[in-house]
Amino acid sequence: MAENAKKILLALGAAGGRRSVRDIAAATGLDIAAVTRGSLSLSERGLVAIEARRRPVARLTPEGESYARDGLPERRLLADLAKAGGRIRARDVPSVTSVQGSMVPVALGWLRKKNWARIRKEGGDSILEVERSPPAEGPDEELIRFLGERKSAYVDELGALSGALEVLAKRNLATVTEEAERDLVLTDSGRNALSGGIVLEEGVSSLTHNMLATGAWRKAKLRRYDIQASVAPTWPGKKQPYLRFLDDLKERLVGLGFKEMRGPIVELAFYNCDALYMPQDHPAREIHDVYYVKEPRAGEIGMPDVLDRVRRTHENGWRTGSKGWRYAYSLSEAKRLLLRSHTTAVSARMLLSERLEIPGKYYSIARCFRPDVVDRTHLTEFNQVEGIILGEGLSLQDLLGVLATFAVEIAGATKLRFVPDYFPFTEPSIELNAYKEGYGWVEFGGSGIFRPELTKPLGIDVPVLAWGLGADRLYMMKAKIDDIRALFTQDLDYLRGKELV
Amino acid sequence: MPTIDIRLSDLESLLGAELPKEVDKLNEVLSFIKAGATPAGTGAGSIEDLRIELRDGNRPDLWSVEGMAVSLRGFLGIRRASRCRIAGSSGTTVSVDPRLKDIRPFICCSVVKGVKLTDNVIRGLMQLQEKLDETYGRRRRRTSIGLYDFDLVRPPLTYGVSRPDEFSFVPLGFSEKMTLGEILERHPKGVEYGHLIKHHPVWPILHDSRRNVLSLPPIINSNDLGRITEDTKNVLVEVTGTSGETVSNTLNIVTLSLAERRGSVYSVRVKYPYGGRRNVVTPILKPGRIKVSLSETSSLLGLPLSRRKVAELLERAGFRVLGAGRGSITVEVPFYRIDVMHPVDVMEDVAIAYGVNSMAPRWPSLVTIGALDPREKSKDLVRELMVGFGFQEVLTYVLTNKEDLFSKMNLGAQDVVEIANPRIATYNCLRSWLLPSLMAFLGQNTHVSYPQKIFEVGYCVVPDGREENGSRDVLKLACASIGPNAGFTEMKSVLHSLLLNLSRPYGLEETGHPSFIDGRCGRVIVGGEDVGVLGEINPTVLEAFGLSEPAAAFELELCEKLIGLG
Repeated sequence: MAENAKKILLALGAAGGRRSVRDIAAATGLDIAAVTRGSLSLSERGLVAIEARRRPVARLTPEGESYARDGLPERRLLADLAKAGGRIRARDVPSVTSVQGSMVPVALGWLRKKNWARIRKEGGDSILEVERSPPAEGPDEELIRFLGERKSAYVDELGALSGALEVLAKRNLATVTEEAERDLVLTDSGRNALSGGIVLEEGVSSLTHNMLATGAWRKAKLRRYDIQASVAPTWPGKKQPYLRFLDDLKERLVGLGFKEMRGPIVELAFYNCDALYMPQDHPAREIHDVYYVKEPRAGEIGMPDVLDRVRRTHENGWRTGSKGWRYAYSLSEAKRLLLRSHTTAVSARMLLSERLEIPGKYYSIARCFRPDVVDRTHLTEFNQVEGIILGEGLSLQDLLGVLATFAVEIAGATKLRFVPDYFPFTEPSIELNAYKEGYGWVEFGGSGIFRPELTKPLGIDVPVLAWGLGADRLYMMKAKIDDIRALFTQDLDYLRGKELV
Repeated sequence: MPTIDIRLSDLESLLGAELPKEVDKLNEVLSFIKAGATPAGTGAGSIEDLRIELRDGNRPDLWSVEGMAVSLRGFLGIRRASRCRIAGSSGTTVSVDPRLKDIRPFICCSVVKGVKLTDNVIRGLMQLQEKLDETYGRRRRRTSIGLYDFDLVRPPLTYGVSRPDEFSFVPLGFSEKMTLGEILERHPKGVEYGHLIKHHPVWPILHDSRRNVLSLPPIINSNDLGRITEDTKNVLVEVTGTSGETVSNTLNIVTLSLAERRGSVYSVRVKYPYGGRRNVVTPILKPGRIKVSLSETSSLLGLPLSRRKVAELLERAGFRVLGAGRGSITVEVPFYRIDVMHPVDVMEDVAIAYGVNSMAPRWPSLVTIGALDPREKSKDLVRELMVGFGFQEVLTYVLTNKEDLFSKMNLGAQDVVEIANPRIATYNCLRSWLLPSLMAFLGQNTHVSYPQKIFEVGYCVVPDGREENGSRDVLKLACASIGPNAGFTEMKSVLHSLLLNLSRPYGLEETGHPSFIDGRCGRVIVGGEDVGVLGEINPTVLEAFGLSEPAAAFELELCEKLIGLG
């Protein structure tokens, strides 16, 4: 602990645990800035709390300041009158006093109000009589002098003089404003630290470079600490817990022989839908299910031959052995730009890539977008985990084997079962249900073998197994959360303290 | 995927067989047709009332309890074919007006006589009609269905056109006569589906020989003729639409359901003034045929299956075996199986009939080498370093809004990728830089103890006309530190260490950037390229995000110059 911080802590302890920064500065002899710095470091360690409050402060006006120097006009007038003999006609007053002419009536008024002068009528004249010995200093004068010296003072510290403040304020000689004041308050940890003993003079609370270099440590007695004293937490630099989970998933997939694949966020409808053999009027392509780009509305499809084969497959099945969807394919619909709505778009691009290897295993973890309203179970932007396996002779039993491996290796499932499912781009399609202790049967992933209407136009002549994992749900089970919004949490406290899973 | 409500006892009586009374066991049966049930009744433990989820979006024939029964029978070993075949002609004709050619060209009808309709059956029909209109009919654009009491209709029928003020009738659910124009304005269905015909000067109308209106397709039926009750014996089914094939398929599916209710199907003759075939007799309940290769089936399933076994499985799945060729079996595809467009569709049913849980899962013996994407690898390296500097990683959305991206950052609006159909205004474009997301994050955490240090590595999207998708994904790193002692020096020190560890010599050029304090901001230059910005956050920005502590930050594009691929 820095020396200044120790001084502050000791002063605060001596003062009963609560004191303003200003007072501590006065008590320690440190300047306000040093106390501020010291108390911030104490507050970071949780030893001291800093509380701000508003406090009324009294100050003199410029007029008040001049009287603080020269005395109140009535006091000066009194002195001048006494000097002039103590008895004088009212109309002669301006000629014997240094008080400014315009102020004389005010000064006369206060002389009478304060009972410092008597006025008698003699003939047609008003005669003023004052005492030779000056009357004692009044509270208003005391206050104006005090404020003149101190420049400002807290109203709550004025004590008996606070009545006089009202008088000065009415005479427009002083003003009261509210100012922020910081109090330092000793916390429980602070008290513990104090009771553990803070020694200033000896300087042996911490071992220093100097002590070691000079060997002075041999003679020094290192003070005992209260090891039970509570400390402020240290927050680690940490990976985001959900991303950490996805990292782990990647590692497992790479371990199983999968290569990572990537694709763009803004996609052409062609790759997101058409190339996957989703007809152009499929309900999942409506504006309720896909975000479309405002400007430009359309992009360019770089592979004219692939486009042509896909178009013909949609229209009449081309050479795939299929009847096709049998409608007039629209090029402008294919060129529409949208936000990738599923990772299968990435798989489609991989199948068209020059880097594709057969046999091959590929996976992607990619951000996908759908126009859902965000709630406990829906996000409008989410990550999908998906992959493909392609190679000669792959079959449904291989697909089941992949799912079973995932269930055991990734989900840690004890039991699993397969359920026939439906996806527009696979046939057959299988859903994997895994039995998780405490949850029962959970849908864990969807899968299938890509339809020939998908693979053949993309130039692929071997079976392609496709799978997707319900990674979000798996993470939620692991992290014991039931609100999907927590994946993208905005709560720093939660992130700092969340246990790693 | 559609859901329908059914009664278990109804399904059992249609099947002519008992089903398990326990949900898990029942679902094993239903999985043959890719369906799943959850109890929907109020009674505890009762599974009489069921909500059925039908996963197959391509099998509208299953979207009724009758259709489910037809397909389940084979799997359960019940040998009873569908009753749905044409018993004769109803003697009814429909004449089509030539002007419909460009409005809603197709119509087809059937008459199903002697149907036993109960309240429950009618509700099921309404569900089927609704799901077909909505999904397969593409919200009635492609097809829409009408059901009528045949005994109230006087044939022949006319599928004609009408001006909005020409015909009037009492629409379903109303008690007063309205003109077609009034229906589009006032009837809920008119409001919902009016856009499908509104732009035409004349609208489709279906009326009988007395000019009594049956319906205004695809909007609404007549309340007088188009209302089916428990007293209805003979039902006229009509489907109109824009695709001849879809219209015919839809009629077949509705007719199939009614036939299962002990109805006899009679045909209707449609006279077209356009198209190739002038007279079409509907419904066309013609089965298809498809040749299934034995070797392809075996290799798709991964099982060596004998011809006999395949034939047996095909029959169970509802495909009648017509004959066998060299290495193949030809089967009949029932008229309602509109999903079958390729032999794989039939092979899948063979797999389901075999039982996917009876197969032997095996890990494919392919030798492949796993690897991370090089860009992802560099991303992980940068994340590791940032964590080492004591920064907490955060995850934010790519979707955002221009207010956060620019206005709050004290910047003028810039080009970004905007969404044409945002669901909510705060998510209407894609972020082009990361720092605003971090500032918004800090703004959410003003109650949390300072100092706070956060970072994110994530993709941003910038418009780029040279790319085929009109934009480019850019990987960026942003980090921010906020608290009483946060400042330029601290963040410069982090930047320095980061680039040192990435072995990238860098330069810092003083720059003016309105998001940062003037004179405390610099551009980061690596390899002669501007890769990012570093500075103390402008108080205007702090205020905009509700922050009352000083902050400093930097943002770098993790471009090739910086993370050097390879």
